[in-house]
Amino acid sequence: MNETRFSNQQMVGTSVLPDEARPLLDGEARFLNDISFAGMFHAAFLRSDHAHARLLSVDILAAQALPGVRLILTGADLLGKVEPFRSMPNRFSGGETVQHWLAVDKVRFVGEAICVVIAEDRATAEDAIALIEVEYDPLPVVTDARSGEAEGAPLVHDDCPNNYLIRRDYSRGPVDEGFAAADLVVRRRFRIGRKQALCLEGRGCVAAFREGGFELSLWMSHQLPYVVRHYIARHLGLSEASLRVVAPQTGGGFGQKASIYPEEFVIAWAALQLRRPVKWVEDRLENMVASTHSRDHDIDVEVAFDARGRILALRSDVFVDVGAYSTYLWSAGMEPLQTAGLMPGPYVVPAMAYAARGVATNKTPTGPYRAVGRPTASCSLELVLEEAARKLQIDPAEIRLRNLIQPEMMPFRNANNLVHSNVAYRECLELALEKSDYAALRTTQTAPGKLRGVGVAVFAELTGLGTTTAVGPGTLLQPGRDAVTLRLETSGVLTIGAALPSQGQRIATAMRQVAADELGMRIEDIRCLTNDTGMAPYGFGTFASRTAVLGSGAVIKAARKLRARILALGAHMLGRDIADVTIVDSTVISLDRTASISLRDMAEKSFFSAKDIPDELNEGFDITTFYDPKHGSFAAGAHVVAIDVDTETGAVEIVRYVAAEDVGRIINPAVVEGQIIGGIAQGIGEILLEELIYDDQGQPRTVTLADYTVPSALEIPRVELHHANIPSAALGGFKGCGEGSIIGAVSAIACALSDALSQRGGDIHDFPATPERVIRGLGVMLDT
Amino acid sequence: MPTEVAIEVTVNGRMFARRVPARLSLADFLRDHLALTGTHLGCEHGVCGACTVSVDGVSARSCLMLAVQADGAEVITIEGLRDTKGDWHPVQTAFFENFGLQCGYCTPGFLITAIELLQENPTPTEAEVREGLSGNICRCSGYQQIVDAVLAAAQAGQAAAKEQTAGG
Repeated sequence: MNETRFSNQQMVGTSVLPDEARPLLDGEARFLNDISFAGMFHAAFLRSDHAHARLLSVDILAAQALPGVRLILTGADLLGKVEPFRSMPNRFSGGETVQHWLAVDKVRFVGEAICVVIAEDRATAEDAIALIEVEYDPLPVVTDARSGEAEGAPLVHDDCPNNYLIRRDYSRGPVDEGFAAADLVVRRRFRIGRKQALCLEGRGCVAAFREGGFELSLWMSHQLPYVVRHYIARHLGLSEASLRVVAPQTGGGFGQKASIYPEEFVIAWAALQLRRPVKWVEDRLENMVASTHSRDHDIDVEVAFDARGRILALRSDVFVDVGAYSTYLWSAGMEPLQTAGLMPGPYVVPAMAYAARGVATNKTPTGPYRAVGRPTASCSLELVLEEAARKLQIDPAEIRLRNLIQPEMMPFRNANNLVHSNVAYRECLELALEKSDYAALRTTQTAPGKLRGVGVAVFAELTGLGTTTAVGPGTLLQPGRDAVTLRLETSGVLTIGAALPSQGQRIATAMRQVAADELGMRIEDIRCLTNDTGMAPYGFGTFASRTAVLGSGAVIKAARKLRARILALGAHMLGRDIADVTIVDSTVISLDRTASISLRDMAEKSFFSAKDIPDELNEGFDITTFYDPKHGSFAAGAHVVAIDVDTETGAVEIVRYVAAEDVGRIINPAVVEGQIIGGIAQGIGEILLEELIYDDQGQPRTVTLADYTVPSALEIPRVELHHANIPSAALGGFKGCGEGSIIGAVSAIACALSDALSQRGGDIHDFPATPERVIRGLGVMLDT
Repeated sequence: MPTEVAIEVTVNGRMFARRVPARLSLADFLRDHLALTGTHLGCEHGVCGACTVSVDGVSARSCLMLAVQADGAEVITIEGLRDTKGDWHPVQTAFFENFGLQCGYCTPGFLITAIELLQENPTPTEAEVREGLSGNICRCSGYQQIVDAVLAAAQAGQAAAKEQTAGG
C-alpha cells in the first residue's frame, strides 16, 4: 500500500480531547447519588463506636416506631440467610476471618456496621439511627502490629494466633554470605502511617428491584462491576443472569473502590426483601472509618554493600497493621506480601530474605490503594541507599546507577523472582539527572534558616498483569484477561463495549484511539461503553495499572478480526479483490481510488438489504475477544526533587520537581501527564501530610478533611515531566501509568529530607514528615 | 416533622418559590428539590469545595449554607454557566482543552471558584491561581492541568478583551 496516498491521521500518540469529559463540564454526568427511582427508599447505617467489644443488646424499638422507617436489620436478621465474607484463602494465611455484613456478637473496629435503617428519606433514616440503643461490653484492643504479634496480646479473631492474618518467611540466594562479605551494612527502621485514598466521591449504591429484565440491578460506585456481580450472586444465592451491575460516573477510585464491602451487599438484600429500590450513599465520616485504609507499615531493613556501594544482600522484617478483617477479596496479603516482595524494585539484589506479617488490629481493614506496597517498599530501600552513599562517600545518583538493572542485563531475574525486560531504568535516571541539572542542583545554596535537600529515586512498577502473575499475592486470583466487544452499528458507528470503568483515566478515549488506528476509522465515529455488565463482555475492571494495557490489547485483537470482515464484505460490494481495498476515514476504498463505500452504507446494507450478500461474508460485525498479556510489563521512572526545610518550623517546601518516566508506548500524552502528576501529588501527600491517627483505645482521631490533610494546589509544585519510553512486549507496546509515579514521589522526597537533615547530623525514619517529625529529625528535643 | 419555611430563590436565572425544611442545606435543595445534580457533595463540612456555587456573585459552600439563607438570593450552579447562545463559558472550554479534570467530581466547585478568581483578577500569575484555588481539593490531577486551564482562560479573556477594544 502506498502510505502517502492512504493515510489516516494517527490517533495513538496524540492528545485527543476526551468527549467523555463533556458531561462532567456541563454538570450533567450522572454519579451514583444522581440516580433515583420512583418509590426509592434510603438507607443509613449504625456503626460501632467501640474498637473492640461484645455486643450485648441492640434495641431498635424506638427507631422502628419513627414514621417513615420501613425496615431495620441487625446482624441476627441476616444470620443464616446470606453468606458472610470469609477471608480469601491465601497460601500465607495466619487463619480464617469471618466478616458478617452487620456485626454479630462482636464489633472489631470503630465504624463497623451494626444496623441498617431503610426509610422513606435519608434524613429519617439518620434520625432513626439516633434512636437505636446499643449496649457494648468493651474488650481489650490491639492498635499496633508489633505489639499485636506478641504472645499474650488480645486476639482480634480467636482463630488467628499472634493476630497473624498473613505470615510469610522468604529467602532466596546467599543472604548470610552476602552479609558476611559486606564492607558496609546499613540498618534502618522505616515507618509510615495509615492512609485514606480519599476519593472525593465516597462509596454508594442504588439497588433496584426488577429493573429491566433483571431481578436486581445495582448501580455502584466501584471499579470492578463483573467481580461485584459474581460475588453478589454467590453471597445472596442468586443466579448471575438475574443481576446487572453498573458502575456509573465514578468520583475517584484509587483502589478503595476495588474491594468488596458489606454495605452494598446489605442494600442489595434489603431491596430484594422490600421489593423496592434502595439507595445508600456514604457520607464523609463513614468513608473515613468504613472504607478501606491503606499502608500503616513498620519495617526493619538491612542491606549488605560492597566497598563500591553495590548491594550484596537484602533482609527485611515487615510489619503491616492490616486492620480488623482480611479485605474481601484481595485478602490481607496485599500490602505485607507486596511490600516485602517488591522491595528490590529496579535494583540488582543477588540475595534477599524477609519476614512479612499482616497483623490484625482493631482498626479499619486496609485494602488496595494506588501502587499497593510499592511506595513503602521503594522508600525503605531508597533511604538505605541514601545512607550508604553518605557513608561510602559516593554521590547518591551514582550509587543508584551502580545498582540499577542495566539494559544489557535484560531479561534479568531478580532475587524476588521477577523478570525485568524492555524497561528504561538507566535511561530514566540519566534523563532526570540531565534535565534537572543535577550537579548544579546539589551545589545550589538556599536562604538562611533553610536546608536544601536533593532526593533521587528510581522505581519499577509492574503493570498490565496477565494471568501468570497473581494480583493478590498468595491467592488464586489471577485477573489477567479481559474482553472487549467491537460492534459496527448499522449507522456505521463503532461501539466498543468493555467492563473497564474509568475514574478519570479516559479509558474510553484511549480505546477509541486504538480502534481508530486499527480500523482506519474516524475517531468521532467510535463510541465506548465501559461500565455495564448488562451490555459489556466479561472483564475484571480497573485496578493495578492494567486497563489501558488489557483494554487496548483486546481492542487490537478484536479490531483485526473485524477489519478482516469489513474488508471482505467491502471488497465484495465494490467488486474488487480483498487485497485491493483498504479502510480510510471510515470508508472502504479501492487502492486505485476509483471505488469506495462508506462503512455506514456497508453496515446498513449488510443488515437491511442482505439478500444479495453471501452468508459467509455477512456473519455480523460484532466481535468479542479476550486479551491476556500473560506476563506483566515493567514501567519505570526516576524522580529528582529539591526541597527547602525550614529549620525553625520544620516546614518542607518543594522547590524543583523533575520526573522522567518510561510508560511504554503512549496512547494519549495529555492523559498520561495527568495520571503521572496526579500520582506525584498523592505521593507528596503520603510522605509529607497524610496520616490517619488512632488513640490507644482504637478511636480514630482523623475523621474529617480538616484532620486528614490532603495537598491543595499550594503544596504541589509544577512538575517537569520527561519521557524515556520503551515499548512493552504487550500488544501495542503499552504499559500502565496509573500508579508508578506515587512511588517516585514518596521515595524522592523522603531521600531529599534525609539529605537535608543529614547536613545537621540528623535523619528521619517516621513518615509522613510532619513539621514536628522534621524538627525531631534535626535533633531538637520536643515535649510529647 | 421538621419546620418548613417558604423561600424564593433565583437559580441560574429562574425564580423558584418553594417550602423547604428549615434544616435543608442549600446543596440538598439544589440537588434534591431542583434536580440540579451538577453540584456535588464531597465532605459536607466545608473543606473540599466540591459543592461551591455562586450566591449573589460570591462563591459559597452550598453544604454549609441552609436553603433558607438563600431566600431572595441569586444562585449560579455549574448548570448555569453556558451563555445565552448555549456555548460553554470560556473557563469550561479551557478546562476541556487543557485536560483540567479527571474523575470530574470536584470540577463544579473548581469552575465556580476559577470564574470568581478571574473576575477579581483577570491576569493572575501561576502563584495567584494556586492561591485562589487552594480552597478546592482535587484528588486526581495534581492540579497542574487545572492551573494551566485557568491560566489559559485568563489569556483567552485578555485576547478577547483586546479584540473588543481593537474592534470597537
